[in-house]
Amino acid sequence: MGSLDDLTPGKRTEGLLGHKGQVIKACVVLTAKLFFADPQWIIPSIIAPFIFTLVAFFLFGGQAASGSFLLYLVLGSGLMGMWGTTIYGSSNSIGFDRWNGTMEATLAAPIPLSWIALGRVLFNTFEGVINALFILAIGLVWFQVGFSLVSPGLFLLASVSTFLSLSAFGLLMCTVILLSRKGGFITNSMEIPVYIATGTMFPVSILPLAALPFAFLLAPTWGIEAIRLSALPGYVGLVTNYWTDMAILAVETVAYLALAFVLFKRVEAYAKRNGTLEEY
Amino acid sequence: MSTPRPDPNHAVEVRGLTREYTTRSFFGGVTKVTKALDGIDFTVTKGELFGLIGPNGAGKTTTIKILTTLLTQTAGEAYILGLDVRKDLYEIRRRIGIVFGGERGLYNRVSALDNLHYFSDLYGVDPTVARSRIPELLKAVGLADRADERVEKYSRGMKQRLHIAKALIHDPELLFLDEPTIGLDPGGARDIRNMIRDMKKQGKTILLTTHYMFEAEELCQRVAVISKGKIVALDTPAELKKGVRDIAVIELRTYGATADYVDRLKQLPNVVRVVAELDSEVQTIRVQTPLGADLLSQVVSALPPDAKIIDRTIKEPTLEDAYLRLVEE
Ligand SMILES: Nc1ncnc2c1ncn2[C@@H]1O[C@H](COP(=O)(O)OP(=O)(O)OP(=O)(O)O)[C@@H](O)[C@H]1O
Ligand SMILES: [Mg+2]
Repeated sequence: MGSLDDLTPGKRTEGLLGHKGQVIKACVVLTAKLFFADPQWIIPSIIAPFIFTLVAFFLFGGQAASGSFLLYLVLGSGLMGMWGTTIYGSSNSIGFDRWNGTMEATLAAPIPLSWIALGRVLFNTFEGVINALFILAIGLVWFQVGFSLVSPGLFLLASVSTFLSLSAFGLLMCTVILLSRKGGFITNSMEIPVYIATGTMFPVSILPLAALPFAFLLAPTWGIEAIRLSALPGYVGLVTNYWTDMAILAVETVAYLALAFVLFKRVEAYAKRNGTLEEY
Repeated sequence: MSTPRPDPNHAVEVRGLTREYTTRSFFGGVTKVTKALDGIDFTVTKGELFGLIGPNGAGKTTTIKILTTLLTQTAGEAYILGLDVRKDLYEIRRRIGIVFGGERGLYNRVSALDNLHYFSDLYGVDPTVARSRIPELLKAVGLADRADERVEKYSRGMKQRLHIAKALIHDPELLFLDEPTIGLDPGGARDIRNMIRDMKKQGKTILLTTHYMFEAEELCQRVAVISKGKIVALDTPAELKKGVRDIAVIELRTYGATADYVDRLKQLPNVVRVVAELDSEVQTIRVQTPLGADLLSQVVSALPPDAKIIDRTIKEPTLEDAYLRLVEE
């Protein structure tokens, strides 16, 4: 056994933003390592979307073999996969510490919990991207979907923005889980309505009127619209203006973030009052 | 009413600290209030190794949680390095290290290296510093050659050593160790105690809780005995032992002794207390008595015929004897 003498003195990262960036990075890295450490990751990320996509193709693919309709399906399944992982994974970003026995270690960190959650949520949402990319690959290779985008640049911008809005939504869901006893129930029961409301598989315009306000409040609804506008030729969407979709997306994403940060303060206050988040 | 400023030489300053837990029954009806801490006062000076000992449920972990900003008090004040635990949350957290006993608190599916890198970033350690400090720490706690292995493959002792490295990653001035040797085998516990001594040598202030009296006696400069949320004694181990100066201890090692025999010993006149470990093949029985050796003949004659005394010694009372008197009265 060595001794604790002669250790390099601990020096702190300067500047508060420096530390926040460091925490976000560390949380992304740790979450990624934990994700790939468990071989089961392949089920939600590869096998489930594969089956989703196959079903979608066999249901709709035959009736309209036009390239753009197939691309529509690919985008839809990809986004659906992203939603699934966001809702399951992200919302458990901190809840994970409950059963892992690391809640106290996490709560003891010298930084607000929201930054830790943000890093973890970013990776958990990215899991959804892995999933979406895989679906895209199936579409391209197996079903030979023509991949000609209306505007690749705008498509990329819309995709990245949708990714960020999904992360913000995941962060918000994370507080909901921590603040509610029946957290698991809430996320499970949200998945299907959210698939439908954001129009991942169908155009939102076919939704019943009553569901529309809900759909409009979900930032990814607008992200999906923007993605389709930039990808599919002649797509007619809700507002059919790429930048309007993007603006609403941005406003709603910022609102989610603000709300999530406020709710994280409440989570932390609760934790301090009770000394734990274990048995909320 | 204004409260006096904390003394800058105090690493920990606690005044009238009180904590109540309210638990509701499952159906929300009956509420029960537990007073885990009932107005405790103590200070730990900088560089001191201070022990907090007490039976299960005495309030040790509650105290540590309040001092480490993980739990708010119901009443009273606590200052860490001159900072208020209710206000200066993040500044305090940056300057303290925490070790909770037991298996919890590590990411088991990744390596020791991964854990230390994660926590060093969480604590905002400069990445260039971390690159040399992490291997140094791993070497210091004897995990250097297994640093890449998943923590789930570690023994209890290795995990606890990793906990120590984790708590030191950001070079804290003050360490809180809540039962750091619990569940370790004697060798593992000794390793941890040596590390605690090393930390003290480096000038770190340490607040330690433990169930093992010899550990407190061996390590701590001062000890607070806490029982049912109150501090019942606070002094150096030597001074605390003076509380049992009036008694001596007859220590027996026996073969075949039963609970019956222990009961009979308790009935003897002039016996203050009997502490027995009967589980193993050879039993250890400690009889506290003001008579010392004069009680020996009665102790021996109370022994049932099928039991044997392997050896017997008259001992000075230990911190444990003093402790038992304090928490039982
Ligand atoms: N979260 C909680 N809710 C309700 N009661 C609690 C809670 N945590 C602790 N208590 C109660 O407060 C009292 C003090 O508990 P604490 O954990 O501080 O004791 P301790 O001295 O650390 O004991 P041990 O030696 O068993 O670790 C106990 O009666 C315990 O049951
Ligand atoms: Mg305890």
